[in-house]
Parts: sequence; C-alpha cells; structure tokens
Amino acid sequence: MAKVLVIADIKQGMLKGGTAELLSKAKAIGAETAVAAIGSNIESLTPDLVNAGSDTQYIADDPGLELFSAGPYASCVVDAAKQFGANLIWFAFSENGKAVAPRVAAQLDAACATEITDVILEGDQIEVIRPAITNKVMQRVKINTEQLVAVVRAGAFEAAEGITGTENVVKLSIPAADLKAVIKEILTDASGEIDLADADVVISVGRGAKDQAGVDLVKELADDLSAGFGSSRAMVDGGFMAHNKQVGQTGKIVAPTLYMAIGISGAIQHLAGMTGSKVILAVNKDPESPIFNVADYGIVGDLFEVVPILREEIKKIRS
Amino acid sequence: MKILTTVKKVVDVELNMHVKDGAIVEDGLQYVINAWDENAVETSVRLKENNGAETTLVSIGGGDCTDMIRRCYAMGIENGIHIDDPALTKADSSIYAKVLQKVYEKGDYDLIITGKQSQDTDSGQTGIILAEYLGLPCVSNVIDLEVTDDQHIKVSRSGDAGTEIIELALPAVIAVDVSINEPRLPQMRGIMMAKRKKIKTMDLAALGTSSDEIGAAAPKSEIAEFMASESRKSGQKFEGDAAEITAQVVALLANEAKVI
Repeated sequence: MAKVLVIADIKQGMLKGGTAELLSKAKAIGAETAVAAIGSNIESLTPDLVNAGSDTQYIADDPGLELFSAGPYASCVVDAAKQFGANLIWFAFSENGKAVAPRVAAQLDAACATEITDVILEGDQIEVIRPAITNKVMQRVKINTEQLVAVVRAGAFEAAEGITGTENVVKLSIPAADLKAVIKEILTDASGEIDLADADVVISVGRGAKDQAGVDLVKELADDLSAGFGSSRAMVDGGFMAHNKQVGQTGKIVAPTLYMAIGISGAIQHLAGMTGSKVILAVNKDPESPIFNVADYGIVGDLFEVVPILREEIKKIRS
Repeated sequence: MKILTTVKKVVDVELNMHVKDGAIVEDGLQYVINAWDENAVETSVRLKENNGAETTLVSIGGGDCTDMIRRCYAMGIENGIHIDDPALTKADSSIYAKVLQKVYEKGDYDLIITGKQSQDTDSGQTGIILAEYLGLPCVSNVIDLEVTDDQHIKVSRSGDAGTEIIELALPAVIAVDVSINEPRLPQMRGIMMAKRKKIKTMDLAALGTSSDEIGAAAPKSEIAEFMASESRKSGQKFEGDAAEITAQVVALLANEAKVI
C-alpha cells in the first residue's frame, strides 16, 4: 500500500489549501496519509491538518524554525519520511517546496520530480506526468526508485468534499540551524496583501500599463475583487512590481478560478505560469497578441479606457 | 575566488515543437544556451570584474557545444570544460550532479553558480542535489548577490514570504534566477578572442570516474514518452466600443462562466 507524506504548506501561520488537495489525491489513490508540518507556533494547526485529510501528523514546532531555512526544513522532512516509511513525499507548489524537495531526495537517495500534474501507480511502479520545455510538451516519467519526492503543480489536484483524517500527532526532534547559510532577515510584502498562490481571482498587469499610474489603476480593480495582484516580467524588470509578484515560468505558477491578464501580450514564459487557470480574461490593445490564443474572453482595447469600465460593470452586476 | 559556472545547451523554446510517437520531432529545432545559465555566466563575469575572481564553466552534453562555450568566453569566462560521454544520454538530475561533483573536486572552487532550472526539463534540481552531495550550503532562486569578505557572500532569495537575505559561508552553491542581472551581449573584441581559446573536452574516464561509479546506467527517473501539451482553445474576442464590449464580457463572466 502506498504511503504518502504531504508537506504542509503553511504561510503566515495559516494552512494553505494545497495541503488538502494533495491529501485528497493521496486518499483517492488508496494511500495511507501523513502530513509533516514545520514552523514556529503551529501546534494550534493540528485540527486543520487532520481536517485536511491526514491520519498521522509529524510536527516540528520551534521558534528556530520561524524563518524558512531549506537545510533544517529538509532534515525534518527526511525524519518524518523515515518514521512514516513514506514511498511518496509530496510538496505543494511553492518556492520553499522547490528548494527543499531536491535536498530530501538526495538525502533519501530517491528520485525527484517537480511540477507534476499526475501520479500513476501500477503495483510498485511509479510514474508521473509533468509539463516540460516551458509547457510546450508533457512528459511521462518512469520512476526507478522505490521512493519519489515530488513537487505538485498548482491546481493539479482537487480537494475532495468531506475529506477528513485522524489525529495522531508525532513530535519531530528539532534540527540544528544551518550555520553556513544564515538567514538574516525577510523583507516581507505589505501586510494584508493576498497571496497569489491560493487566490481565487488573480489579476496581472503587463507592459500595457506603462508606468506606476497604470499599475495603480489595475491594482484598484484587484482590490475591488479581493484578487491576488500579479505581474508580467516586464513590470518587474521595470521596477513597478516586486519579484515575488511575477507570474510565469520563472515566477509563480497560478491556477485560479479567474485570471485577468491586463495589458499583457502573452510571451510563452508568462503563459506557462497561468494557462492552468479555469477562466481567462485578457485585455490588450493589440488584437494579434498571443494572450488572446489562451483567453476565454478577450477585450481588444486600451486598458486605461477598459479597466475603469470593467470596475463599474462588475460593481453593477454584483449589486 | 575561483568560480565554477554550469551551462547547458537546450532547445530554443521560442520555436514551435511537435510530438510524434512519444518523441519530440527534431526537425526545425534549434539549440541555445539555457536562459538561466546566461544569467549565471553574467554573475560570474561580474564577480571577476568587480572582485577579481577566476571563472570556469562546465557544460555536460552530447554534440557540439563549441558555439555556446565560445559565446560564454566572449562574455568574459576564462576557462571551459565540456563533458561529453555516450554513457550520459539517459542522465537525470542526480547523475548530472554526480558528474559535477567530480568536476568540482578536481578544481578547488569557492563558488558554484548554476541557473535555477534549465528550460528543457524545467526541473530545478541539479544545483541543489549537487550541494547535498558536496555537503555545501546552497541557496536557490537567487536574485541578488554581494561579496562580504573572502569567506562569505550575501545573497537575496525570492521566497514565499518575501525577499530573504542570507549569508553564505564559502564554498557554496547558488542557483540564480533570470532577474539577477541582464546578461551582456558579447562584443566583437571578445568574440575574436574567444575563437582562439581552447575548450577542454573530457569523457568520464578523463574526469577520473566511470559510468558505474556515477550510476549512469541506472537513472533514478527516465522519460518514458513525450506527449503533446493540452493547449487551451481561444475563446471569444470582442472588438469595438469599449463600454459596450466590456459590459458584454462582464455579463458573460457572471452568467456564462459564473466566476464573478
């Protein structure tokens, strides 16, 4: 029987939805489930971890684990994987997951696969499906080890209704800090901003916005909808948006219910980060923009004209 | 400071790609330096210029990598190693890391700089696994770097909670993001000089190892087949009076797509 260890995706003390999605998939393939939760002041999350669908909870809770550090986090995951006897170790898509998964794989001498969209089990044989070459193709990858460490692509699995687990907490020992890679500080985003990774609606702004005034205009629309506010690479390079707001192959990969691309032409690197969205709306001046090839609804027009109307119409229809 | 930079020759993702019988159709493909690796090269060259580092690149892969390595020379890299061995055709990230480990051990390097992923596999594993094998500290997704002293560098990592500032003790491994810098275009003088420079080509034996030692015949994972990507279909596109078409689209978002 497969044993799946899911690494809890915790941000700002909250358990993110990806955890339940991965545990749901684990239950769907008939696996025994456990979760590893690493951080500081997280013991209160135990009921959430159980409700997300885990039957064992490995918890490493220590003030020293407050700031993310890949080395100690990997040690905790390896410890939990060994205790549980996991053959599948899954991370929800996140920068931290991408940094930790290869370390865990190296330590366990296991295969590692990132950005997976599906897992196929046939007896002891594990295979995964994943996009490659900037989403231009898909790969079926055969895993030749008994264990697989994987990072699951955003939106790949769905959380099942009515899933639940059993409380069985195991405390992990706390690893020493990494003295060779010392985290000095984290320059955080402005508080209250919506996380792109699990926002229901994501609105991204591109070169068409030209400058800060344009960015601010689109931001107002995002605020109206309580949407995550992202960006194309051009606006990050231009200094108008923070690095961690970039949607695309090199930034965040998002899969919200509604994605609005405002003034974004649709370079393949951007498309690779958002084509998993359920519904896509694009606003662009150029009717030939590649973004229209993936958009369900396209408005050909100047965003400076369209966005204020969009705000008004959405307000109207919602009231 | 001695720097080792990894570069990979990969398929140009801007071109169209077709899949037939589980494989990518080679016809019409072109190969270029991996985008992230170009930033790794630029990072090395800037360290050479600003801090007096010695720069070496290593590339693993079959076929002719001369053009790519010469381009890196023209950007300012001083030494180039090309590892080419038929045993590596099925190599996965972990095997690449084993080979790089051998290269590192022959060179006494202070810093290894890799791109954070390669655009052919999009895996983002090799640099991190290499650091584990070497027991060196590692930071991935690096967007800024500063040399603090002979034994330390300070890097910025774009993380989930924001930009992390991390002090690394050398030797160390970093995997850089494209936003760390803007790679320079090689200048004519550099291109001319690059033509005269040698590339050290080695197989596994020359590297002092063997297919068996690095487990090249038994990759931990292998690509069973390629499949066409499920592409989205384009939907409805509206042109005309902004007020009119915007109202129309909002109505569709609410009533047809039911997302607002």
